[in-house]
Amino acid sequence: MLGKLLKYEIPAIGRKLLPLYGAWAAASIFLGIGLRGFDSESDLFSVLTILLYVAVTVAVIVMSVILIVQRYRNSMLGDEAYFNMVLPVSMNEHIANKGLSALIWMTVSTLASLVSIFLILLCSGSLFDVFPEFIKGIREIIAEVGAHWIIVLIELILLSILSSAKSILAIYAAITIGHQAKDHKTLASIGAYIALGMAESTVGNIFMRLGWMFNFGRFDNLIEFLSTHEFMTSQILMLVLFLVSIGLVAAYFFICKYFLEKKLNLA
Amino acid sequence: MARIEISELSKDFGSIMALDGVTLSLDKGCIVGLLGPNGSGKTTLIKILNGLLVPTSGTVEINGIEPGVETKKKVAYLPDRNALPDYMTSDQLVELYSDFFYDFDAAKAEAMIDDLGIDRNQVMQKMSKGTKEKLQLCLVMARQADVYLLDEPIGGVDPATRDYILKTIISNYNEDGIVIISTHLISDIESVLDNVIFLKEGRVVLEGAADDIREKEGKSIDELFREVFRC
Repeated sequence: MLGKLLKYEIPAIGRKLLPLYGAWAAASIFLGIGLRGFDSESDLFSVLTILLYVAVTVAVIVMSVILIVQRYRNSMLGDEAYFNMVLPVSMNEHIANKGLSALIWMTVSTLASLVSIFLILLCSGSLFDVFPEFIKGIREIIAEVGAHWIIVLIELILLSILSSAKSILAIYAAITIGHQAKDHKTLASIGAYIALGMAESTVGNIFMRLGWMFNFGRFDNLIEFLSTHEFMTSQILMLVLFLVSIGLVAAYFFICKYFLEKKLNLA
Repeated sequence: MARIEISELSKDFGSIMALDGVTLSLDKGCIVGLLGPNGSGKTTLIKILNGLLVPTSGTVEINGIEPGVETKKKVAYLPDRNALPDYMTSDQLVELYSDFFYDFDAAKAEAMIDDLGIDRNQVMQKMSKGTKEKLQLCLVMARQADVYLLDEPIGGVDPATRDYILKTIISNYNEDGIVIISTHLISDIESVLDNVIFLKEGRVVLEGAADDIREKEGKSIDELFREVFRC
């Protein structure tokens, strides 16, 4: 059933985000054209295109977060829940559906930001100056740090995806806990989010101290650590980070599941 | 085994007791009117049967099992509000129901939608309130469910539409199933009811076959309702 849920969930968010991506692409093209004339007589146009680009970029980021929050609240705890929650679907599938679709759209938003940068460079005429420099820079980094660090880079990308999943589920857990309040559910959700964040940072501190004990270095200075330690040591650190992230994803998932299964009270 | 077994069911919302020790045993093959004024606990009971609310105490079983994924396969629910994604058209909603409910008859739903003159390509948010209600009812009644839970199905529609809705319920429900209709508009619905349950302040104050009650009390269910729930 998860596939069927995703079939409807992904377009439900996309129908609102896709027009924003279109606006983002258009703003990128305008900015690229505007940058061509920067420092010349058309300065005002350039400044306007920069302002437009910043405004649209902020709108896309804010709307992405709002849509993900809204979709969860409305379809799991709001009016749409009266249909959604009577579907013959397990709670695991419901939560996985929301988490996966949000993760997919966050990844698409990240890719859209790369497309935006590409369009700016292309339209400003500097793509063919910047691109060879970019490739050269990448080659230099690989030559300096060694090709096996590419593995670390891939691991960092996977870790950031896992971290995004954790952030999404933390928001869902906070909304679900906040919904237990009789009144001021939004305020209660914000309070729950702060409390969960504090609990999470406490867990993080414990692992950081453990890291010190095992001489893995400080977890919050990852780049410095990776550049000064051996590859295998970095892999042990990565394993710990992966386990902590997976643990947090599981914890937030089960908070949502517990409250939705055992404490659901649709007003 | 009765289709629905409810035992000592209570639900409170803080200091408000929405249901207070409700015990009922409901068999298949009948249309039951769940009757009571606003705030009597009708919607709360229906939500618990659907698993949308967790009871404070007591038990509920449908076909011998507690509300969950298995019961949801067999329960068709019409909520008291529009719960469907309103950016979808009738055709898309028929596909949605087909995807999730194996007992859904798409051809039957489409026939009912056409019969009502609902534009299949119009998105729900552009439909009138009454049309939305009719569309939701078509989708619910096109299922061959064991239990139909209809919460205020005639609340916001004109008398002509009420007749259509009642006709739709009678002619489409699975005769091996049970239909529970919650309402306070008794006179409109009395003629289709086999059994009635009066709920007052979360308690069952009357339960039985509609004909028996009419014969015993010497008045219609509507008259009796007005008497029991007189302010």
